[in-house]
Amino acid sequence: MIDAVWRLESAKIIAALTRLVGDVGLAEEFAQDALVAAMEQWPAEGMPGTPGAWLMSVARRRAIDHIRAERRHDLTHGRLAHDLRQGDTTGEDDRDDTLRLMFLSCHPVLPPPARVALTLKLLGGLTNAEIARAFLTGEQVIARRIADAKRTLAEHRVGFDLPGPAEAAERLASVLEVVYLIFNEGYAAASGDDLMRPGLTLEALRLGGMLAEAAPQSEVLGLLALMEIQTSRADARTGPSGEPIPLHEQNRGRWDRLRVRRGFAAMLRARELGGPPGPYLLQAAIAVCHAQAPSAEETDWDQIVSLYELLVRLTPTPVVRLNRAVAVGMARGPRAGLDLTEDLTADPALRDYHLLPAVRADLLLRLGRTEAARREFLRAAALADNAAERAFLERRAAAIPAAEPTGALLGPAVAAFLAGRPGATARSYGQTLGRLRAALGEHTPVAELTPAETARVAAAAWGGTAARTWNRHLAALRSFCAWAGRPDLAADLVRRPEPSPEARPAPVWRDTDAALRERALWWLLHESAAPVTRVLALNVEDLDLDDRRSRTGITWRSRTAALLPDLIGDRTHGPLFLSGRRPAPARAPAEGDLCPHTGRRRLSYERAEHLFKTATGHTLSALRLT
Amino acid sequence: MRYLLLSLADENTPAPDEKLFAEMGAFIEEMSAKGVLLATGGLEPGGLRMTSSGEEFTVTDGPFTEAKEVAVGFALVEVRSRDEVLELARRFRRIVGDGVSEIRRVQ
Repeated sequence: MIDAVWRLESAKIIAALTRLVGDVGLAEEFAQDALVAAMEQWPAEGMPGTPGAWLMSVARRRAIDHIRAERRHDLTHGRLAHDLRQGDTTGEDDRDDTLRLMFLSCHPVLPPPARVALTLKLLGGLTNAEIARAFLTGEQVIARRIADAKRTLAEHRVGFDLPGPAEAAERLASVLEVVYLIFNEGYAAASGDDLMRPGLTLEALRLGGMLAEAAPQSEVLGLLALMEIQTSRADARTGPSGEPIPLHEQNRGRWDRLRVRRGFAAMLRARELGGPPGPYLLQAAIAVCHAQAPSAEETDWDQIVSLYELLVRLTPTPVVRLNRAVAVGMARGPRAGLDLTEDLTADPALRDYHLLPAVRADLLLRLGRTEAARREFLRAAALADNAAERAFLERRAAAIPAAEPTGALLGPAVAAFLAGRPGATARSYGQTLGRLRAALGEHTPVAELTPAETARVAAAAWGGTAARTWNRHLAALRSFCAWAGRPDLAADLVRRPEPSPEARPAPVWRDTDAALRERALWWLLHESAAPVTRVLALNVEDLDLDDRRSRTGITWRSRTAALLPDLIGDRTHGPLFLSGRRPAPARAPAEGDLCPHTGRRRLSYERAEHLFKTATGHTLSALRLT
Repeated sequence: MRYLLLSLADENTPAPDEKLFAEMGAFIEEMSAKGVLLATGGLEPGGLRMTSSGEEFTVTDGPFTEAKEVAVGFALVEVRSRDEVLELARRFRRIVGDGVSEIRRVQ
């Protein structure tokens, strides 16, 4: 019972106290003191008539005692006592304080997970244990996250004042983002999950309500409307075995009309405010279109398309563009929708996103291209994380009769090709070709692939990488395509010029007469561009000197290759780079860090850094090429 | 979880006054904004009653003298826990004064 009171009142209490003491960590402590006092007194003396006011006055007393004590210690600090005499605050003050507390909890100096945890803790009144359960993590993790967040706020001297007009929009955007993040975390929870997870949608709705009361702006009301309408579909969006039911197939009778109505009401308030619509308001408007349609067929898809056009202009994210493609597919036919998805298939952000092939599969099916649709469904199933969703997509694929396979399929062809390569090559090529399989589908006949498709996959997967990396993937693709009798598939892909070693800035250590170990390490760092820790972690048995690569994926060039044989000597196992001395018996390192041949330990990062600095005056990071 | 709160009254229940209306208005506003209160309203004391028996439907006009207490208001709320609905009911009863509320979980 005390818990329930606390949940309903804690935001107000902590907000008022933060204004009083100027530090959210202290404020929470005093509020907790009051909670403890309540747990001691209420069971014995009965619950006070107005428990919220009781908690507030106890907490205020603690805070005022604290301020007085502090002032006695440091009169020169002269904090004004203007708040101390003040009795109950008005509703308006409460709302203002709540808003300030939200701005504080969602401050941009904090990493997003900390904003979420702090908001749920301070404004939702949730315990660390409850937050941990909702986010499938440990209580300690949340406790630390919250403590770190409070410290960060104190270190940055984040004040409790409302942000000025210049900053206000950005700060409000951060609050909205946190609330929507909490909502989606709850909305994404499966039915079998701990109830604390779906409970997050309710927490987000309450936070949205609080925010709308404190700052009734159009985007706030838009977010509230969006969340209300999405919540209205909660019962209708999954089938009996947990499989997702797409919006247009949902039983609209199961939509919660009360929630829909609350969404409409928030939307009306937002519209009355006027002004250009923001992203949340537009998404809410799209949700309203769906909610107003008595059936999927009667949906005003033209209106939805025009709302998406506006939304794409504000937030041109790949997911928004995909949703626009769906809407266009409904309004103007599957061909138009499919055309819009073509661009997206080259977008790296969507390359593992199962809904892209799922959407394409639907559109292809409507176009009568059943075999292509079947393959897209299979590809979507392979990418889906959620078991129920995967099963659902597999069933959709299975419902389409498979065409007679025409020649070899991509998946088995790649496997056969790799089986014929030596180990190191197979591993390296396997990485490249694995991406090709995932992007184009295991079950796609090799004969049906097009050069445009391979080019698209390569651009999405490796277009942004360095010339050397690009060329390595390209070599793997060419080799496979030639083997498969389709050299044309890689013909459109062009090798990129690699910067020649001479063109690079002269290494800073070139003229030093360092020892062999130092020169080998520095050249290896320079030529591999690998992180220092990974290079120091190399073992002799990991190296393939002929192939100039390690099993751990580090590659090098001629200068390193010339030095390594001397460095290794007769050693066959153990750390590649060794320290100069044997460790003292009392400080024996882990077995893997000890050389079985010499008894020396692995060279430490600190020592390597020190040697390089002494020799060149630079830090090791100067060696890495980008 | 959702609960339906019914407030019951008998002939001894005093009629609401201005103060009660004002306090109740503020309470309803606060709870609606929080997203706790989904719907609420007052109920006419008598109403109609329909009885069905096979193919036969009988409509009777209220008031129904055999019922000592009748529902005069309802509230549909979305709460986190049973404790929370009890706390809400407590606040409500503090405003309306002596009497009875029935609290039923919507299943």
